Amino acid sequence: MNRAVRLNRLLTILALCASVAGCGSLPRDPEGTLQRVRGGRLRVGLVEHPPWVVRTSGEPAGAEVELVRQFAEQIGTTPEWFWGGEQQHLEALKRFELDLVIGGLTNDTPWSKEVGLTSPYFEDRIVVGVPASMPPLKDVAGAKIAAKRGEVVAAYLEQKGAVPVRVDELSQARGPVAAPDWQLEQLGLTRTNVKLYTEKHVMAVPPGENGWLTQLDDFLGKRRSQVKEALQREEARR
Amino acid sequence: MKMPGRPFQLPPDKQDAMQRAKRLEWLTLLFMLTIIAAIGLTMGMSQAMKAVWTEDVLSLIPPIAFLVGTHYLGKPPDDRFPYGYRRAMMIAGLCGSLALFGFGLYILISSVVNLVMAEHPSIQTIEIFGRRVWLGWLMIAALIYSVIPPLVLGRMKLPLARELHEKALQTDAKINKGDWLTGIAGVLGILGISFGYWWADGVAASIISFEIVRDGTASLRNCVAQLMNKRPSDVESREKDPTPDKVQQELERLDWVVKARARLREDGDVLTGEAFVVPRDERNLMDRVKQATETANSLDWRLHDVNIVLVSSLE
Repeated sequence: MNRAVRLNRLLTILALCASVAGCGSLPRDPEGTLQRVRGGRLRVGLVEHPPWVVRTSGEPAGAEVELVRQFAEQIGTTPEWFWGGEQQHLEALKRFELDLVIGGLTNDTPWSKEVGLTSPYFEDRIVVGVPASMPPLKDVAGAKIAAKRGEVVAAYLEQKGAVPVRVDELSQARGPVAAPDWQLEQLGLTRTNVKLYTEKHVMAVPPGENGWLTQLDDFLGKRRSQVKEALQREEARR
Repeated sequence: MKMPGRPFQLPPDKQDAMQRAKRLEWLTLLFMLTIIAAIGLTMGMSQAMKAVWTEDVLSLIPPIAFLVGTHYLGKPPDDRFPYGYRRAMMIAGLCGSLALFGFGLYILISSVVNLVMAEHPSIQTIEIFGRRVWLGWLMIAALIYSVIPPLVLGRMKLPLARELHEKALQTDAKINKGDWLTGIAGVLGILGISFGYWWADGVAASIISFEIVRDGTASLRNCVAQLMNKRPSDVESREKDPTPDKVQQELERLDWVVKARARLREDGDVLTGEAFVVPRDERNLMDRVKQATETANSLDWRLHDVNIVLVSSLE
């Protein structure tokens, strides 16, 4: 009985700690990333992946670059950009040599066990769209559907039994097109119910830096609704 | 083919206890499933929570083994199983203790590996009712919930295990203890993580896993020994069961008995075997054996099918 009482007390204390902590500055970073970045520099690894991260002759552009700029401003830090490959950057991130890596990463990246990922802040739904003049697509099986050459979309189309037509520019395609829904909208196509797959976009942070991760998550959660427009703006500029 | 003797039946009060034990095990299954769901919903990418979840799934084995065992337990002996089905519980006990042992070893290895690899666990946020909440707080809530049912149920099982002399139930109570201990370790670990101590989780879990591995080893050794017809012991296998000695003494108290030796084993909850008896002379042996059989089988509710073997000497 005595032990049960003691345990009850312990549980109560734990619950109190948790509720107090929930309002305060917890969780904290084991390596102090958030503290160091504030008022200092933010080392951002960039992996080219338009329209998320776009390499230009001048300053980097892209939907995620824009988000990071806003975020840096909000927490009072100056971003330092580092261009590179995904593996190179994520390895540096894993060993705390970078504070953030962006490049159109999704939450099913095999790196999810090595580095920290934000919760998905944007869902990219890849669907089939048709021109308004065309009758709605009844059956995908055997239908000729345009997809961007060299991208995974065509494989998903084949899996559904459709015949992918690989093109260099989606805007030149006539007939049905498979692309993210925000892009279909831009191309003036009507989305159908044929969903191919969904990509949940995330950013990568060093492992276990939960204070930093929470701060970024919080920011991204609030900007959710702006991502689509940023992507369309980026696409239109190209 | 009819065998002499009556099939074993639990005394009425023990039957009540057995019903209560079964109810507890059903409740355990029910609560564990809700816990598995709660942990599963909050675990996110956390390796530590995945370990807790795996343990919770593992801890379904002992109650299932117990319930399957009790299903066969009461069946009377038949042609195929002329000794009856009481030993079904020993299989349940073995399954349960293997689960307990594996469960402890799993946490020990995974937490030590995480510590050595210096894994910094990342925990994301989630949006609930328009507010961003760190998943760690929800994990703590789920873990606190996961502590309560096994704590209560495990404590309720222990006296029943003693009363029924049911080692499978005893093992299950132990795994409940492991469940709530790891729950507490998980809470401490996540609190530690929230304060920036990435190693808190691994340290808490590895300390607790020692306790579980110890319980598991003891339980596993006991189950194997029991299958090897070890001398009967109490339900925790700490002390010798005094019943064989008692049988021997009572038989020696009969006026026609010179010497007696009882060789008993545990068939699950039942004590069975034979008692070797040296009679003073050979008069009236049929009645004497009957009397001795009754004596040997009536000393304790657990004694059943103890056979009297007449021998001329114990040498």
